Amino acid sequence: MIDYSQLSQAVTNGEWKRTPELTQAILSAGAKPVDIIFNALQPGMEVVGEKYSSGEYYLPDMLKASRAMNLAMETLKPFIADTAVTKLGKVALATVKNDMHDIGKNIVCSFLRGVGFDVIDLGCNVAEDKFAETVRSEKPDIVGLSALLTTTMYEIGTVVKKLESEGLRGQVKVMAGGAPVTERFALQMGADAYARDGGEAVRVAKRLVGK
Amino acid sequence: MMEMTHKQRILAVARGEMVDKLPFGARIDTWYNFHSAHGTLPDKYKGWSQTDIMADQGAGAQKRFFSICKERFHEMEVVIKKDGDWETREYITPVGTASIKLLWSTNEGPWLAYEHEKLFKSAKDYLVVKYILEHTEPYFNDDYTQERADMGERGIVMTGTGLWCPPQRIMREIMGYELFYQEMMDNEDQVAELIDVMAELELKKLKIAIDSPLELINLCANWSDDIHTPVFQRFFTPYFKKANEMIHAAGKLSMVHTDGEMRRLLRFFPETDNDVGEAVTPKPQTSLSMTEFKKGYGEKVAIWGGISSIMFEPNYSNQEFDEHVISLIKEMAPGKGFIVGMADNLPFDGDINRVGRVVDLIEKYGKLPVWV
Repeated sequence: MIDYSQLSQAVTNGEWKRTPELTQAILSAGAKPVDIIFNALQPGMEVVGEKYSSGEYYLPDMLKASRAMNLAMETLKPFIADTAVTKLGKVALATVKNDMHDIGKNIVCSFLRGVGFDVIDLGCNVAEDKFAETVRSEKPDIVGLSALLTTTMYEIGTVVKKLESEGLRGQVKVMAGGAPVTERFALQMGADAYARDGGEAVRVAKRLVGK
Repeated sequence: MMEMTHKQRILAVARGEMVDKLPFGARIDTWYNFHSAHGTLPDKYKGWSQTDIMADQGAGAQKRFFSICKERFHEMEVVIKKDGDWETREYITPVGTASIKLLWSTNEGPWLAYEHEKLFKSAKDYLVVKYILEHTEPYFNDDYTQERADMGERGIVMTGTGLWCPPQRIMREIMGYELFYQEMMDNEDQVAELIDVMAELELKKLKIAIDSPLELINLCANWSDDIHTPVFQRFFTPYFKKANEMIHAAGKLSMVHTDGEMRRLLRFFPETDNDVGEAVTPKPQTSLSMTEFKKGYGEKVAIWGGISSIMFEPNYSNQEFDEHVISLIKEMAPGKGFIVGMADNLPFDGDINRVGRVVDLIEKYGKLPVWV
């Protein structure tokens, strides 16, 4: 019986110097890489998300945990085929047009990747055309929109309208967030859901893909 | 007895005195800069200054002025290149070269540049960044004198040494939060040394601010829980204590712009000896209520803010806005130590006339002491 808890806890605690050796030890004990990801790494990051949302964890805690997870994944990489790991879903994420702030978006990317979503990070200052093009080509389950300014948050509505006019709206769920964005505003702009922070983004994204 | 001016009322409250009614220091630069740049100021206000507009609305003015200091750079070459809204600054020193790339965007108000590319990009930059800071000389910014004269008694020119205190400059301006925390994992001693060097520079600027006519010195903007509490306690608190020792010895007051989520940092505020928490942002924009802020800041600190920026947005009705402001006034009863303000600005699509609504609501509900 393989014990994944130590590795999972190390991810949650951000013990990035320990996770490679712990990962190697579990591999040596006969665990499959996919099982290590599902039973140790992703659960560890889920807890990080919960702690972040609850106010127990900060940005640096999340960064340490992400590093811990990424170093574990690096250890597993030689043993994983690309198709071996089933993803929870695909999310295309960006900060909207005329907005150069990326920290919130980066945090959400890290959390979503950490729990098993396939994340396409489109960057900052992304116009509605690019979102439409991405939905057409990459077929994400979710489009995530981040806006950090009151002058740019209306771009959330612009993206939704673009998806509607291109006949793409029904293919994808839209999740929005950012400092000036509230749930009320996000829904008024036509988003399907609002996420206050990276931890909440995980819960919302899972709900949107029915997991 | 002559009525107090807006400036007198704001400063009296900042000093802990009881006044006749709640002061209101309104900040509208996001709205003003955006509409000025796009030619979309309301017809009535075309060609007006921010302060004149706020005076017309009946409010005290809170006008941002970047810094009471300018900087000279010694023993290095600073090359500035401009390309439309983009500006690249290259610092060529004997120990290496570092550069930043700035975006001057009307979305942020044209007075504030967004650092698209930070000065510090990797561990190889410690030496050159340290050199730049050590060879920067601050001097008094004469432009402040005119700003102060233009403002008169109508409000406060909000300024200090710059936007941020030393650790915040390293975290936000020089490195960016993510890289800062990665460097704290990998090169903690070097980060601490860089903060010390920055503090030496900022204390020189603080001396200039203290020697100026400025009464209320802004020490640091953009507090939020992303400033990890161990980092705050290790780097921020000691600097604030040192700065406030100097400020209070000169009979002046300090202010900090605490506009972020403060659920975790709030309990550390009293240790900093700061006098005013400004741009205090309650629900619905953060998780804290004004009651929680009052308790956390304590009785010695004046609170400036309370009206979340989003309440000025058109998707909230006038009735909802009025209810928010009335509720705020009642929650802050009896009202001592409170300056009504935006948290932290009038948004670009906000209704300027809601500034006047606040003035009217204060006349009706904001005489002190506020009875509930």
